[in-house]
Amino acid sequence: MIKVTDLTKVFPNPDGTEKTAVDHVSFEVQPGEIYGLLGPNGAGKTTSLRMISGLLKPTTGKVHIDGINVTDQPENVKRQIGYLTANTGLYARLTPHEVLLYFATLYDIQRAAAEQRVRQLADWLGMHEYLNLRCGALSTGQKQRTSIARALIADPPILVLDEPTLGLDVLSNRLILEFIRTQADAGKAVLLSTHALDEIETMCRRIGLIHNGRLIAEDELTNLRTRTGKARLSEIFLDLVGATDSVFAEEVTR
Amino acid sequence: MNRLSRINTIWRKELLDTLRDRRTLIAMILVPIVLYPAMILGSLQGFELQVSKLQQEEYTVAVLAEPVRAWLRHVIDTDPARQPGATEDMPAEELVEKAAAGELAEDEEPELTDKASPGEAAQAGVRRAPPDYNIEVIKDPNQLAARILDGSVHVGLVLTSPPPTADGTDTAEVVLYLDQTEIRSQMAASGLDGIFQRVADDLLRQRLKREQLDESFVIPVAVQQETVATPERVGGSILGQIVPLILIVMTITGAIYPAIDLTAGERERGTLETLMVAPVPTVDLIAGKFVVVALIGMLSAALNLISIGGTVYLGGLGQLLSRGGDVVIPIGALPWVLVVLIPLAVMFSALLLAVCSFARSFKEAQNYVMPVMVAVLIPATVGVLPGMRLEGPLLVMPVTNITILTRDLFTGRFDIVAILWVTLSTTLYAGAAVAVAAKLFGQEAVLFADSGSIKTIFQRRFFKRSDSPGTAQALLLMAAVFSLNFFLQQALLGGGEVGTLEYWLGIASVLILLFLLVPLGAAWYSRVRITPAFSLRGPPLMGILAALCFGLSTWILAQAWAVFQRDWLPMPLQMEQLFELMVARLNDTSPWAMVFFMALVPAFCEEFFFRGYALSGSRRTLGKWPAILLVGFAFGVFHFSIHRLVVTSVLGVLFGLLVVQFRSIWPAVLAHLLNNGIFVLATREDGLRPALEGLGYGVNDDGLPHTPWIIAAGALTLAGFLLCMLVPDRRVATVTDVPEET
Repeated sequence: MIKVTDLTKVFPNPDGTEKTAVDHVSFEVQPGEIYGLLGPNGAGKTTSLRMISGLLKPTTGKVHIDGINVTDQPENVKRQIGYLTANTGLYARLTPHEVLLYFATLYDIQRAAAEQRVRQLADWLGMHEYLNLRCGALSTGQKQRTSIARALIADPPILVLDEPTLGLDVLSNRLILEFIRTQADAGKAVLLSTHALDEIETMCRRIGLIHNGRLIAEDELTNLRTRTGKARLSEIFLDLVGATDSVFAEEVTR
Repeated sequence: MNRLSRINTIWRKELLDTLRDRRTLIAMILVPIVLYPAMILGSLQGFELQVSKLQQEEYTVAVLAEPVRAWLRHVIDTDPARQPGATEDMPAEELVEKAAAGELAEDEEPELTDKASPGEAAQAGVRRAPPDYNIEVIKDPNQLAARILDGSVHVGLVLTSPPPTADGTDTAEVVLYLDQTEIRSQMAASGLDGIFQRVADDLLRQRLKREQLDESFVIPVAVQQETVATPERVGGSILGQIVPLILIVMTITGAIYPAIDLTAGERERGTLETLMVAPVPTVDLIAGKFVVVALIGMLSAALNLISIGGTVYLGGLGQLLSRGGDVVIPIGALPWVLVVLIPLAVMFSALLLAVCSFARSFKEAQNYVMPVMVAVLIPATVGVLPGMRLEGPLLVMPVTNITILTRDLFTGRFDIVAILWVTLSTTLYAGAAVAVAAKLFGQEAVLFADSGSIKTIFQRRFFKRSDSPGTAQALLLMAAVFSLNFFLQQALLGGGEVGTLEYWLGIASVLILLFLLVPLGAAWYSRVRITPAFSLRGPPLMGILAALCFGLSTWILAQAWAVFQRDWLPMPLQMEQLFELMVARLNDTSPWAMVFFMALVPAFCEEFFFRGYALSGSRRTLGKWPAILLVGFAFGVFHFSIHRLVVTSVLGVLFGLLVVQFRSIWPAVLAHLLNNGIFVLATREDGLRPALEGLGYGVNDDGLPHTPWIIAAGALTLAGFLLCMLVPDRRVATVTDVPEET
């Protein structure tokens, strides 16, 4: 379970000024739930996810994963989280098989168990045909599936997915979303950050809307519909942010 | 998973990744195995071709009169070296004799160059038969210089006396005019020079015969140099000048690419974020990468060495290097050189990783690497300077010590103690560099381009306040100050003004600058709180008491130890004289000058640096006792003398103990001041000598203090030690690492 309390991140600029990337954000994600984090570029989504996964230290505020404070025990927390990064890089000169085994070893998984887990993930994600090709030669969809398999190699109870379907074709897109759904149904807590409004509508019960580092709304989709009187998610956004914010309007309706 | 097996996993993956990279393979294998031999052999053959071409050309000699032309023609044509059967290696007088005896057989052809290896041919090229000459008469002597300069004449010959004869007794004077910047002019002149040498020898022999004198008449003294060095040693000494630098350049060349690729490259390709997601501490990641970079560096240097060695050996370049002397390449030294590669690769990989760790892109990293190479090559070059010996402070001088060690191994000088010193100090420096690399590598601003500017890592205002410097920071500063201190002291000694007031003022300035201002500046910049970092708290009464115990007694024990040590580690006379000279002039001045230069300034500056900055930094990660011992030992090493190492190290440990136990630097300053002060004043009539003698203190003929005094001093030191140990241990709150964003 993820519990985020008053999470804040301030970056120093070289000229001495500061930039608040994430501003007192609080939310929770329960096991079996897919929580959607929504917002335009630069809203603070990725920074929040990095703090939750222990890659960045919060300036103030806390993140608890199953009751453990991330700042206190980053290594322990990292074991609990499968984090799919936004610009996920794979070692171009290694094969997906090698990448997956490498990460399995870093998570202390024994060789035999790791091989079995790789086969299982390859079955689920349809990776067998390119398992032994170099990652540099794979298509975007194949790379993304490899990355998702990499995030799930240690079978973590918590998934943090940053734009998992970015740049994918329809088929890969559907496969990955269905896969995420089965993972949540199996009891994992899933935190999903995305631009794609239709994905959020179909996948998530509760969503959080981040704008300029702040969580401006957090509720079940049905409640948000009632509150704003709008049916479509994009209209709900515009209503919440205020239609005057043209940059944001452009971003979400695009 | 334990740390070692984790690092093991990481480095094996990084090695696989690196070895699959075509660019690494090209830099590591193709360049040494194909390019170097091709380059060396190619340029040699080019050289050879050029030499033989120049050799076959006909040169023009200008003379000023027709009779001279005729005479010169005759001299050139009858030159014994030009006669068939003359061989390249035959000395001039032998040629003359053989020609005179008609022994030069018609069918004995001179050895042709294409039968010899390129190296031999190039070597022989300069000693072959003189070229053909075309002689021209220029009537106007003023024309001569212009004609030589425009190249239409290669050399001018002016005979300022009658031509030499066997019957005469005079010296014929021949002046050769040449253009030294022109290779053809040089070759023409040196050819003529050789011819006249042979003519002179021949004439001398005839004149001596005429006068019925033996040849020994004109050679009253014959000096001959015979080397006692074995051919292996000669070969080793030649290689020892070249190979260390080649090794350094090759190690760096091999390591640069993986160092950049595994840090900045990984960051640029976006795989770093993925890797940081795994539950692995940054230090382990860097350690794994470090292993691979060091391995590749070593491998690349070894391949280069083998390739160059093979080329030199097979290409016969050895003879060229030796200039014809008796030289054998010491094959036995090669395994040792491979051993030396380890500290080399360790040192440079750590440095390169540290530098590349805060680069965000490949390009940026490349920019950072260049200054590092230059910074490394300067101390490396110092090491190959002739006359440098691996002793004293040079044993622990970064980079320089490795170069000298490599050279020594080549000449068969094998000193296990020196190897240990070099290995230990290098490991320490490399460890510190790896720690710095890990610290930089894990920085958020370095990790994510969008997480604030990279400048913030180095700007003062972004350092987090802390109570002590980082351990790596402290170690690196020690290494830097050590090198600077050595070179500045050498410069002062080299001034020839040893022992003058100016010299002592210089020493004091160096101490104040390096040991006081540098650590204070470093602490200020990294926002380390001065008071806790330098333990500036007022001393407790017990601390002053303990300091008095040490300060009043240690100088006697040091004196006794010095006498005892003299039996098994005698001080070289030269060093003793230098030391006496340094002190002698101060003896003429007031005792206060002596106390100022030899006690007050060192006590303050050295304590601030060692027991202040270095101790609080090392303590942070090493713990109390390892830190006290390390800093104490470093203090000993900083005194640049194996003869003072034991005493100064022990003193360093005692002073460190004072500071740690009483959490104040002042007891250490006091003890240091008393120890040095009493020691220098004890022998002075206008100092403490009368007072000490009044108390019954004295030394025997060896300089050993009287036994009761030694016993009393030992007891007092022990009392001081017990006072220190009575203080209950306090846990020092550890502070989180600097630098860090605020």
